[in-house]
Amino acid sequence: METLIQVLIDGLLSGMVYALVAAGLCIIWGVMDVINFAHGEYLMVGMYVSYWLGFLAHVDPLVSVLASGAFVFLLGALTYKLIIRYTIRRPGLVALLATFGLAMFLKNLCMNRFSPNFRILSDTWLGGKTFLVGSLILPVPQLAAGILSLVTIGLLYALINGTRFGWAVQATAMDREAAELMGINTERIYVLIFGIGGACVGFAGGIMPSYLAVHPEVGSMFGLIAFVCVAMGGFGSIPGAFLAGLLVGIVEALAGFYIAPVFKYIAVFGLYLAVVFLRPKGIFGW
Amino acid sequence: MSRQVSRLNRWIVCLAVLALLLGFGPRVGSALAAEKVIKIGTIFPLTGPVATAGQRCQAAVQTAVEIINGKHPDIKVPLAKQEGILKGYKIVLVHADSQGKPDVGKAEAERLLNQEGVWALIGSYNSAVSKPASFVAERMKRIFMCGSSSSAALTQRDMKYFFRLAPTDATESVDFVEVLKWANKKNKANIKTLGVIYENSEFGKHAAEEAKKAAAAGGFKVVTDVPFTPGATNLNSEVQTLKKANPDAVFGAVLGADYSLWVRTMKQANFLPRIVINYCSGYQDPVIAKQLGGDANYFMGSSGYSPQFASLMPEVAAVEKIFKAKTGGVPFDGNSIQEAVAMLVLAQAIEKAGSLDTEKVVNALNANTWDSPLSLGGKVKFAKGGQNILAKSIVTQLQDGQYKRIFPEKMADAKIVFPMKPWDKR
Amino acid sequence: MNPKEANRVLGKDGPWLVFAALLFVMPFVPFVGENSFRMHIMILILLFAAMSQAWNIIGGYCGQVSFGHSVFFGIGAYGAGMAVVAYGVPPWPGILTGMIVAAAVAVIISWPCFKLSGHYFAIATFAIVEIFNRGFLVWDWVGGALGLDYPLVEEGLWNLMWHDSKTGYYYCALVLFLITFGLVRWLEGHRFGYYLRAVREGQETAESLGVNSTAVKLAAMALSAALAALCGAFFVQYNLRVDPPMVMSLDMSMKFVLITVLGGSGTLVGPLLGATVLIPLQEYSRALWGGLGGGVDLIVFGLLIIIIVVKQPAGIIGIIRDIGKHAARRRAAGKEEADHGAP
Repeated sequence: METLIQVLIDGLLSGMVYALVAAGLCIIWGVMDVINFAHGEYLMVGMYVSYWLGFLAHVDPLVSVLASGAFVFLLGALTYKLIIRYTIRRPGLVALLATFGLAMFLKNLCMNRFSPNFRILSDTWLGGKTFLVGSLILPVPQLAAGILSLVTIGLLYALINGTRFGWAVQATAMDREAAELMGINTERIYVLIFGIGGACVGFAGGIMPSYLAVHPEVGSMFGLIAFVCVAMGGFGSIPGAFLAGLLVGIVEALAGFYIAPVFKYIAVFGLYLAVVFLRPKGIFGW
Repeated sequence: MSRQVSRLNRWIVCLAVLALLLGFGPRVGSALAAEKVIKIGTIFPLTGPVATAGQRCQAAVQTAVEIINGKHPDIKVPLAKQEGILKGYKIVLVHADSQGKPDVGKAEAERLLNQEGVWALIGSYNSAVSKPASFVAERMKRIFMCGSSSSAALTQRDMKYFFRLAPTDATESVDFVEVLKWANKKNKANIKTLGVIYENSEFGKHAAEEAKKAAAAGGFKVVTDVPFTPGATNLNSEVQTLKKANPDAVFGAVLGADYSLWVRTMKQANFLPRIVINYCSGYQDPVIAKQLGGDANYFMGSSGYSPQFASLMPEVAAVEKIFKAKTGGVPFDGNSIQEAVAMLVLAQAIEKAGSLDTEKVVNALNANTWDSPLSLGGKVKFAKGGQNILAKSIVTQLQDGQYKRIFPEKMADAKIVFPMKPWDKR
Repeated sequence: MNPKEANRVLGKDGPWLVFAALLFVMPFVPFVGENSFRMHIMILILLFAAMSQAWNIIGGYCGQVSFGHSVFFGIGAYGAGMAVVAYGVPPWPGILTGMIVAAAVAVIISWPCFKLSGHYFAIATFAIVEIFNRGFLVWDWVGGALGLDYPLVEEGLWNLMWHDSKTGYYYCALVLFLITFGLVRWLEGHRFGYYLRAVREGQETAESLGVNSTAVKLAAMALSAALAALCGAFFVQYNLRVDPPMVMSLDMSMKFVLITVLGGSGTLVGPLLGATVLIPLQEYSRALWGGLGGGVDLIVFGLLIIIIVVKQPAGIIGIIRDIGKHAARRRAAGKEEADHGAP
């Protein structure tokens, strides 16, 4: 029983991070109908920012989260300005392939500049600390990442659903032409949304070096899982992505422990297929 | 209209530049053909998930070539004092990137042999790449020197032109089981059960199979067998599975970033077997050991080299200086040094054979025992199939950030810390 | 994008003229100086053109963007590999079995997937690739993570293996290429081809015209998968080794899509154009920069993908079309000037 709860906790905590990575992808997809294939690489860039700040200036990841977020925000906005802008209103595949090229570019550029070495940030505030509840173990860095995830997703949800900016975003997502007629600068909305999507994953990348090694390949698997979460949650639905992230984390942990570790990703991808076969537009899709 | 034209022109310019680059690029290498050079090709995973190891291996071969080509009277390694080999021949390396993919490695082997006209190949770190790449060399009757691929299957193929320096995972597994027996006798350890954790790739899977074979032969019971996907986002369920089975000893074949994740996850789960022994993997990477700090201590692993072996291998230091200049201060590790040995032994064989006739060099390689100050034990000798039967490794343990020699006892410089110190008492 | 427009560019049967010329020239290429690297590139171009053409049937003509083709490719590869390695027979029965199994698997997994639309479908096919990849990695009967390594057997067509020269592989690749391109050319004119395009342009409309869109899509998928499996079998015979990351990976799936889309999806010559540009680019840039170890070749490759996609989403065929239009306009302009110049 205790093991089961421990496994669930582990799954829930990794699910929170998946949710945060997915939230960024989700909002971009929801507003622009673009799958950003370079999303995992955004995460990697965020981790490098946090790592270098920690390594060179001894800034703790908890603080450099903000810098990572800001940096990846700019990266996202730049991606939109330089690439995505030209692919809007064209078949979805075009943007996907362009971001695939971007992913390849970013991954190898980081390898070229920072070498393929694995980098671990030692002596962080949270690194390696755990928190005991009875015999259950709560790892503090992952817990912090989970809280960050909750806060960020909450803020994002509030931003989209409770502010004038959010209404403008929703209007743009529904019908760009109509939104433009209403006087909304949709171009600016797109830039900001790509930036905000980047910032979410930048936050995740910012905090992760306190428990995960940084290297150029680190983002690939996270990116893939984020796709699955977003599609499972439903088109552009932030609560959907959040729920799907948690679900993926839990299923991964349960399958990994109770079936076999090699089956954990099979279970995750199988779960996605099962969900979309039952609800072709995802859990919260319509 | 004019914008259209300029855009079109830009395209044409781009294409022309590209064509120029592609058309004339590969021919640059052949300018050297007129001099007395021996071209040797290297194939390593310079990009992709194991690029770190691949780039270090490449640097090691470069180091060896620098020693062979130049005059280094202060380095006590064969061929260091003279300039070049065969009375004035210099070695020129042609590098290729396998990306860690077998098909790419094979294509690059063909390109190097046919297109670049290299005389022999060195590579390829990944066992899965070494297999098809050496197959190409064998068919073309070219020598393939393999430094660090550890799959025992490589030298069970009865190849004539294939030579491998590193010990295989089969001999390593037998060594590891010996360590367990030794600990049982010496420390009254009462180790009975064994767990195996490995990345689910050619390397890990093969190591695990050999481990299970050796464990069965040594009378140990394998209670859990945990393969995982390399590049995983977390290793929680893997560690929980280990924890549940709670084996006395664990053998690990966990590479790179996964190794650090594994160690940290075990710490978080507050789980530690009494003894952990690693195949050539993340444990041997001096950078990872340093970055993990105290958490890396008391883990064990086999190693053909580590800077702390200096007293056994005094000649390495001077060579390592050249290597460090290439890697930004990272010393040799058990894998990369084998690639340097591969290059040096090949050059020695060419010198001994006195010609560039491949058959003669192969005969020389087979017939002689080679002096190799960079190898543990100092000698290299190949058996049929190409395995270096004098390949040795020492089982080390990380103590206070230092790789201490533990086993075999006559080479040891420290006592084993057994059982491993629990996480909360460090 | 639209085959009609493509035809307008190259003349009505332009693709066929180019095609025939290629047919005529290609068999002589092996004799123009034995250069194994050039041969290797030619073989890869033909192979990847054939693979992408197989994808083009379902992805281009029928508009169902599948990222799952490496699964079928892998099944074909494993079919041939198992025949040779596990059973010690020539690969032919394995190839046939692989094609049939791939088609069957394609139908089974596509049937529920076709209910999904747009990105949901694309991501479902991603998920299937990952499931198959992981599944094959732990499936000991097919070698698991160790993969299958070919023994050295006698060369020749019977074993579909050649050792010293690549000429045999070249002709095989050419046959493969002719099969897929011939089939697709035939489809273009056949009723089934019109059904495919009708489904792409609008499922509801197609249905209202009496086209059973599910059946059409499934048939196209099965055909496409069988051809992809055939290509996979050739790939493994060429490389003499197969393991799951080599054949069943997202990377491989992306290649199917990338080459077709960059060439011009939904057109007959698109896959050939894409392969002719991308494969030499990939191989030469790796030869040139790969050894430096900085991943420069991949950086450049990534950038080029971005530039081509952003500048001309219709692919290379679009670029050719632009050039054609431009030339036509200039001719028109020149004529106009000449008219004005006349007294």
